[in-house]
Amino acid sequence: MSTYVYGITAVSHPALPEGMGGVGDPPRPVRILRQGELAAVVSDAPEGLRPKRRELLAHQNVLSEIGAAGCVLPMRFGSVAPDDDAVTGVLAERAEHYRERLHALDDRVEYNVKANHIEEAVLHHVMAGNPEIRALAEANRQSGGGAYEGKIRLGEMVAAAVKDRESEDGTALESALEGAADAVSVGPESTGWLANVSYLVKRETAEDFLAAVEQVRKDMPHLEVRLNGPLPPYSFVEPGPAEPAGTVAGGAETGTR
Amino acid sequence: MTVVPAQQTGGGGGSSGLYDVLELVLDRGLVIDAFVRVSLVGIEILKIDIRVVVASVDTYLRFAEACNRLDLEAGPRKSPGLPEIVGEVTESGARGKSKGALSGAAETISDAFKQSREEASERETESRPRARKSTATRRKEEQE
Repeated sequence: MSTYVYGITAVSHPALPEGMGGVGDPPRPVRILRQGELAAVVSDAPEGLRPKRRELLAHQNVLSEIGAAGCVLPMRFGSVAPDDDAVTGVLAERAEHYRERLHALDDRVEYNVKANHIEEAVLHHVMAGNPEIRALAEANRQSGGGAYEGKIRLGEMVAAAVKDRESEDGTALESALEGAADAVSVGPESTGWLANVSYLVKRETAEDFLAAVEQVRKDMPHLEVRLNGPLPPYSFVEPGPAEPAGTVAGGAETGTR
Repeated sequence: MTVVPAQQTGGGGGSSGLYDVLELVLDRGLVIDAFVRVSLVGIEILKIDIRVVVASVDTYLRFAEACNRLDLEAGPRKSPGLPEIVGEVTESGARGKSKGALSGAAETISDAFKQSREEASERETESRPRARKSTATRRKEEQE
C-alpha cells in the first residue's frame, strides 16, 4: 500500500489532524508517522489519484489544518511514497535539514499576491501619459474608427505602453509590500499576471502586511490585487536564491527581477 | 472554500481561491526525490484565463477599439485626468470604511484556519459581499 504525504512537521506540533479526511473518494483518513523529533502527515494513497479539484482541496485542507496550529513543511500535491517505512526513512535521513526549515518557518505564513491591470483604467493612464497615442486615437475616431493600418499602429503603441506599465507596476507593487514581509518569493512570470509574488509573513505582523496590501490597493487603483493567505509556506520550504535560509530582512534579495 | 479568507481574494466564485493557489499547490512545496508524483496530465485546463499582452494583430485591434470606446464614453481630453480624481475622492471618503474592513481582515486571519474545516461547503463564501466583484464583472463584460 503506497503512502500519500501531505507535509512534514514536528512531533511537538500541538494539534495534528489525525483521522481527518484526506485525498481519495471516500476520503482516506489522515495518519501520523513519527520519527525522532519529526512527524509526517500521511494517508493511504488511493489508486489512480488524479489532480482533481476535490483532491487538490483535500491536500490543501489537511495542510491548512496543520498550519493553523503550528509550522508545517507542505509537500507539493501528489507526493506518493512506496510505503510508510520509506517516509520515516526519509525523515530519519534528512532530519537535520527539516528541523532547520521548521525552525526557520516557525510562526510564519505565506501570503500570495497576484495583480493585474484593470484594462479600462490602465488604458486611461496610457492615454494620459502619451500625447502621441491620444492624438492617434483622436484621428482614428474622427475618421470613423480609423483605417486598418491606423488601428494597428495605435494598438501597437498602446500594447507597448501597457507592457511597460505592467513591469513598472509589478516592481512598484513588489517593493511596496516587501517591507512588511520576512522574505519574498517571486513566482514564474509567464502565468499571465503582472505580479505573482509570495511573501513570508510573521503571524504577529500579519495585520501590518494586510494593511500594506490595502494601501497598495488605494495607491494603485488601476490594479486588481488578489491576496491569498494565510497559507502554509509552499514557496519557502527550500532555501533558494530568492529566499536564503534564515533571511530576516525582507527585500535585499529581490533585486533579481 | 477552504484555504483562505475568501473575502480577501478578488472576485469570482468559490473556486477562485483554489485557482489562485493552484500553482502553489502544484508547483511549489516540498519535493522528495525518493517519492513519486502522481501524473498531472489534464491539469492544463485549469490554467486558462491568461491575460498577457501578446504582440499580435488581434491584440492591437482590440486595444485600438478599446481606446476608441474609452474616448466616446468619457469625452476627449477629459478622460485622462479622471482616474486620479476619482482615486483621491475615494481615498478620503472611504477612510472610515476601510478601517472597519481592516479589523475585519484581522479577525479573518485568526479564524481562517479554523474555518477551513467547516467551509468544505462553499456556500458561505459565495454569500459574502465582495467588494471587488464589480470590477471583475465589468472586465468580463468588456471582454465579451
